[in-house]
Amino acid sequence: MASAPIDPLEINALARIMDELDYYQLLNLVPGASTAEVRKAFHASSRDFHPDANRELESPLREQCGRISKRITEAYCVLRDARRRKAYDTKLADSNSLRIQLAEARNSHDEQRRTERSGATAQGRQFHGKAESDLKAGNLAGAIQNIQMALTFEGGNTGFKAMLEELRERQKAES
Amino acid sequence: MAEIAVGIDLGTSNACVSLMRDGKVEVLDNAFGERTSASVVHFHDDGSVEVGNSAKAKVIHAPAQTVSSAKRLIGRYFFSEEVKKAQAIYAYEIAEASNHGVRIEIRDEEFSLPEISAMVLREMKQIAERHTGETVTKAVITVPAYFNDNQRQATKDAGRIAGLEVLRILNEPTAAALAYGFGMGLNQRVAIYDLGGGTFDISVLEIGKDIFEVLATCGDTFLGGDDFDDRIIDLFADQFVAEYGINPRNDPYAFERLRLAAENAKKQLSVDEEVHVAIDCVLTGDDGQPMGLERTITRSEFAQLVQDLIMRTFKVCDEALQQSDLTVRDLDGVILVGGPTRLPIIRDSVTQYFQQEPRVDVDPDEVVSMGAAIHAASLVGEAQDSMLLDVTPLDLRIGVAGGLAEPVIERNTPVPIEQTRTFTTFQDYQESVQIRICQGDHRHEENNALLGQFEFSGFEKNVRSEVKIDVTFEIDADGIVNVTASDQLTGQQASTQITLSSGLAEEQIQKIVNEDVAGRVTTATVDEVNPSGGSAGADPATAIVPDGQAAEAAEEESLFGTGDEDLSLDRPDDLEGPASSTDDEAEFDLMDDDELIQLTQDAIASPPGGEDITLDMPVQAESDADDGFFDTSSDDSDGLEIQLEDEEE
Repeated sequence: MASAPIDPLEINALARIMDELDYYQLLNLVPGASTAEVRKAFHASSRDFHPDANRELESPLREQCGRISKRITEAYCVLRDARRRKAYDTKLADSNSLRIQLAEARNSHDEQRRTERSGATAQGRQFHGKAESDLKAGNLAGAIQNIQMALTFEGGNTGFKAMLEELRERQKAES
Repeated sequence: MAEIAVGIDLGTSNACVSLMRDGKVEVLDNAFGERTSASVVHFHDDGSVEVGNSAKAKVIHAPAQTVSSAKRLIGRYFFSEEVKKAQAIYAYEIAEASNHGVRIEIRDEEFSLPEISAMVLREMKQIAERHTGETVTKAVITVPAYFNDNQRQATKDAGRIAGLEVLRILNEPTAAALAYGFGMGLNQRVAIYDLGGGTFDISVLEIGKDIFEVLATCGDTFLGGDDFDDRIIDLFADQFVAEYGINPRNDPYAFERLRLAAENAKKQLSVDEEVHVAIDCVLTGDDGQPMGLERTITRSEFAQLVQDLIMRTFKVCDEALQQSDLTVRDLDGVILVGGPTRLPIIRDSVTQYFQQEPRVDVDPDEVVSMGAAIHAASLVGEAQDSMLLDVTPLDLRIGVAGGLAEPVIERNTPVPIEQTRTFTTFQDYQESVQIRICQGDHRHEENNALLGQFEFSGFEKNVRSEVKIDVTFEIDADGIVNVTASDQLTGQQASTQITLSSGLAEEQIQKIVNEDVAGRVTTATVDEVNPSGGSAGADPATAIVPDGQAAEAAEEESLFGTGDEDLSLDRPDDLEGPASSTDDEAEFDLMDDDELIQLTQDAIASPPGGEDITLDMPVQAESDADDGFFDTSSDDSDGLEIQLEDEEE
């Protein structure tokens, strides 16, 4: 009752040219495709290449299917996620890189956020950390002093500025 | 001829086997007409093994020879919290095995956890064979979605030891969704709330006509119905201490009595508003007088006892919904899985949280094995295809300098998936690199589960920037991790199924399979059952291992190590994996800190200036002060290191 497996010729052909395709081409999508279309394309490709659909295949066709299946998943992971997709589109346009590491787009974003929160220099982080522990210990004045120190190393850090402002507000409210 | 492939739900407390025949899924009952069997293994004096509900009844009289809840220990390290907890509550002997694994000691014998689970699986296989009249060799086995690679691999090993070809390791909630939506032509988003005996999983799926896509899965492998029992046991034990001044927790027999009473009380509270517990004899006093216990528990009292446990499940649900970008309003259905979800307190809380009544048309004890059977049938071409697109539950990470672990594949990434990172050596003419892989959501390596580490050498030595080592991380459709390292220049490869950390090496599995450990399991038939207990139920014709063979088995057991001996003398091959046989120089080098080679890594997106940054992980506000504010790259000076190459394609 299982549906017919995909034509071996097609597997061979795709396995051969896979490394030359971008994620859109791999999933048969146009660059502006919506998330719903991305998902639909992923489902369609999975029906053909997912290991479960190709249990009966002999080696090396089976391994080729496995390779394709993993690449399809990778493409899906990037294109369904707005942030990753943006990073990929930029990379594709700038350097014609056909692939991107899944962690890459996430990291560049997270890095920025973390830097804003806890500092870009060792000293900035150190004093921000001290300010955080002061705060935990209930030492508001100490926290303000330390975050001010942190700002002397990273004057432009918006996270530090916001923290200082908030702490000063609290100090005002308390006194 | 039609191929028989069964679905097995190998639960912490109960196991269940199903088969799809002629388009219908059938739960296969055992010789007693029971549709689930306790996942309890009892060892008789003669070496034969009994599995199931009758084995569970033996725990009162022979707690040290009766192994329950083995699933809580499978794939764990001996030093883990869960193992310590189990040592405190179970009377059977839990010992350290090689590779920091866990072994169970029964009388003079030792068993690995996969062997214990294999005995339960063998019982399921035999149940299926009794129904079909044919040999059953293929199965889909389910695991909690939140199981890590070590636990999945160990479960797969258990299947092999039981004599089964494991077609797929399937996540329990995914199996439940399949049983719920198969062939229904649905188009729904559903949540599977799966509270088992020892684990909690929540999965959010999108079910289409023939596609089941997991959007997110989250879980807690330290939370289950057993914990609900523990709360009642504590209630009993505290009262006992107050009345008699003796702690029943220190006596394994007394403890088992309290545990059974607690479990029964819990179940009774699903039916009644109030339950009265009376145990005639928990312990016998020095004067020979029995010391009993009486206690009434109401539903609301029980609800208070377990309130925090239930709240913990909803915190996990919050996470799963957030990861799938949905709110409870987006869900078309909520499906309950696992015996504990029969509790009215759970049903009410679930209704409240999800703002809808959960489905009651599927049996929470059987639905997982039914789903597994459907998938098994589909894999051998006996049922129409239904694609299961699942995800990996945990971040896959690589250890880098400063004790940190850098994510390579995030949790809830669909599988199968593969990612390759390119590294270079840290020093000129460096001879080897060590690669450590772990799973978990912590930035610090030590807080994650180590899957394995291996040393890669044999690449062409060169100045650092010239050596390029590709490390490929693969997660297959079973959720099992495979890591390969290869040198771009020479093509030299090292690969391993990186599960040796606490698990069994290939040759150990072979040995166990040859010994037919699972063959000790006797299938009880109704005629043989002696309801008064004792050693009846064993069929001597199949149960007893012949003397010679037993002696041989015992001798070979010792090869695996008792933990007392000098490992390096007796088992030089112990840590070798499949890679060693491929004749390259990769070696597994576990816990050897002498030449710990650390990885360091360029920031993944190098700044435009292109300057070389040694690993300099931003510190999160909530992290501990001691590891915090110093540049981690300062730790690097004495280690041999490899660096992540800035990838340009």
